[in-house]
Amino acid sequence: MPGRRVLITGVGSHIGTLLAEQLEADPDFEYLAGLDTRRPRRRLERAEWIEADIRDPEIARVIPRLEVDTLVHEQIVRQPGPGMSSRAMHDINVIGSLQLLAACERAPTIRTIVVRGSAGVYGAEPHAPQFFNEEMTRLFPLRTRFQRDVAEIENYFETYARRHAGVSCTMLRYQPAIGPSLDTQISRYLSQPACPTYLGFDPRIQLVHERDALHALVATVRRPVRGAVNVAGPGTIGLIRMIRLAGHPALPLAGPLFGPLTGAGRRLGLGSYSEDFRRLLRYGRGVDTTRLVEEVGFEPRYSTVGAVEDWVRAHPRGAAAA
Amino acid sequence: MTEAALAFMRRLREGLEAGLDLPEAIARGATALPRDARATVERLLGRMEGHYTEDEWGFDEEFAELVEPFFGFLYDSWWRVHAEGAERVPAHGRALLAANHAGILPWDATMISVALLREHPLPRHPRFLVLDWAFELPWISTAIRRVGGVVASPYNALRLLEQDKLVAVFPEGVKGTGKPYSERYRLQRFGRGGFVEIALRAGAPIVPVAVVGSEEIYPKLADVPALARLIGAPFFPVTPTFPWLGPLGVVPLPSRWRIEFLDPIDTAAYGAEAAADRALVLELSERVRAAVQDALYVNLVRRGPAFM
Repeated sequence: MPGRRVLITGVGSHIGTLLAEQLEADPDFEYLAGLDTRRPRRRLERAEWIEADIRDPEIARVIPRLEVDTLVHEQIVRQPGPGMSSRAMHDINVIGSLQLLAACERAPTIRTIVVRGSAGVYGAEPHAPQFFNEEMTRLFPLRTRFQRDVAEIENYFETYARRHAGVSCTMLRYQPAIGPSLDTQISRYLSQPACPTYLGFDPRIQLVHERDALHALVATVRRPVRGAVNVAGPGTIGLIRMIRLAGHPALPLAGPLFGPLTGAGRRLGLGSYSEDFRRLLRYGRGVDTTRLVEEVGFEPRYSTVGAVEDWVRAHPRGAAAA
Repeated sequence: MTEAALAFMRRLREGLEAGLDLPEAIARGATALPRDARATVERLLGRMEGHYTEDEWGFDEEFAELVEPFFGFLYDSWWRVHAEGAERVPAHGRALLAANHAGILPWDATMISVALLREHPLPRHPRFLVLDWAFELPWISTAIRRVGGVVASPYNALRLLEQDKLVAVFPEGVKGTGKPYSERYRLQRFGRGGFVEIALRAGAPIVPVAVVGSEEIYPKLADVPALARLIGAPFFPVTPTFPWLGPLGVVPLPSRWRIEFLDPIDTAAYGAEAAADRALVLELSERVRAAVQDALYVNLVRRGPAFM
């Protein structure tokens, strides 16, 4: 049986590079390519770096020539960060996915698609069940732009999989990731001298450790399943407890003042919060990971609390204030 | 006691003057307190650093113990609760408590909790399903989840039962909390019997529970739907104290309570597939309702006057 041929979009991201390295180490994968405008974080042994922008229609000519059987779509931006406006985020996420699927139409060799999406698609809702399962995306209206974007991306891939009966498409819905080497909205939040919270709210937060985030992706590439799969560490943690473990004081702000005050903080360079993140800080979110464990066969090593503790060990109190 | 408190304050001040952080100074001061008080202070200090556990539902057993004196006071002195039949609640494994519901805040759920913790030979904390709009309120939402409340959703109930927990539900739902004072102790319709479906799917016995007294704590004389819409609540109650006394109107009236746990109704024998059998679901639902209603009338008579 010939080895598998895999294309990874967003190979220049932290997890993208690590994924390429993991697959390189496995002889089952005969050919690897990474597509990104950014150079991979480290020198890759076997994987070929294709410098291209997924928003560029040119990729419809490039991708079919690679003759890959598996596509891992990792180029989804989860949070507006430094140098990334919400407009650019929308462009990469939605237009990028559209162009990518247009290219797939011309690449009949592709049988497996794995998308690293976000559990943000469920939103953060006070009336929600404590654990969303994969069928619950329609329980509440889509409230934020990012939520609508993720729902739209999922919809594109779903439609594509429906029209191509031989293609299996997995949508991984990730809870926010945390880990010693990751720079994410949640780690930036916990590194602040004081962490703003909604006065009177202590929501349940669920996270996934960076190691599990990577290995869940590897496990899914090895054993793809159809449809959506939630990815998160077992258990949840109260926001206040998480802030206390990080060793910083919580700064409770009354609900109506939260937006304006953190907005003013942003102008002072204290970090910014997307609307999704603000809702998460108010209402929290948990997901059910039965499918991940039973169908993909991946059991996360770190619980949510374990992931936070691992992050705290790497960022001892005081050192992270910068 | 005052001596101990003074010694505590003196050591605290010495500690602060010696340049210690506040938590360290408090820890030093606590050495002057009697052992019980010292343990509580140390526990609170540990909590300040995040050393406490919450399960995946956000239930925090230590917090539930810390606030126990408050609910214990309500149980003993405020509402003078008399509980019967706690031993009928299964000591192990999954079970569903189905109770009548009244009072705008889930006080009845907390009193059922205390009754089980006090009277049951093998006490355990029940989890209870709370009307979801309570989870939009600051403080209340946090306190409810820490003492074992979850959003009233069938998914939550099923998952809790599958984890072999004791789960309390109020099948009347918002119809129960929102009924006027004149209809007190007249049970409302038990929805479409969703709680029976869940019990059947999980194979959990249903324990009917009758709570007398909760329906007098917020006597709802009128409803102002326009204000309810404005704040997004299911109804806006007007009671003798609310909204006239402002926040004080939230203080529940001190009625006398009786809680009776009735004989469990077994569901495991029907099998999980029986959850799809509408006739059976409605029949069982009616059986639970009738049992609770009968017990309500009996206990109302036994209790006598509401506030004496």
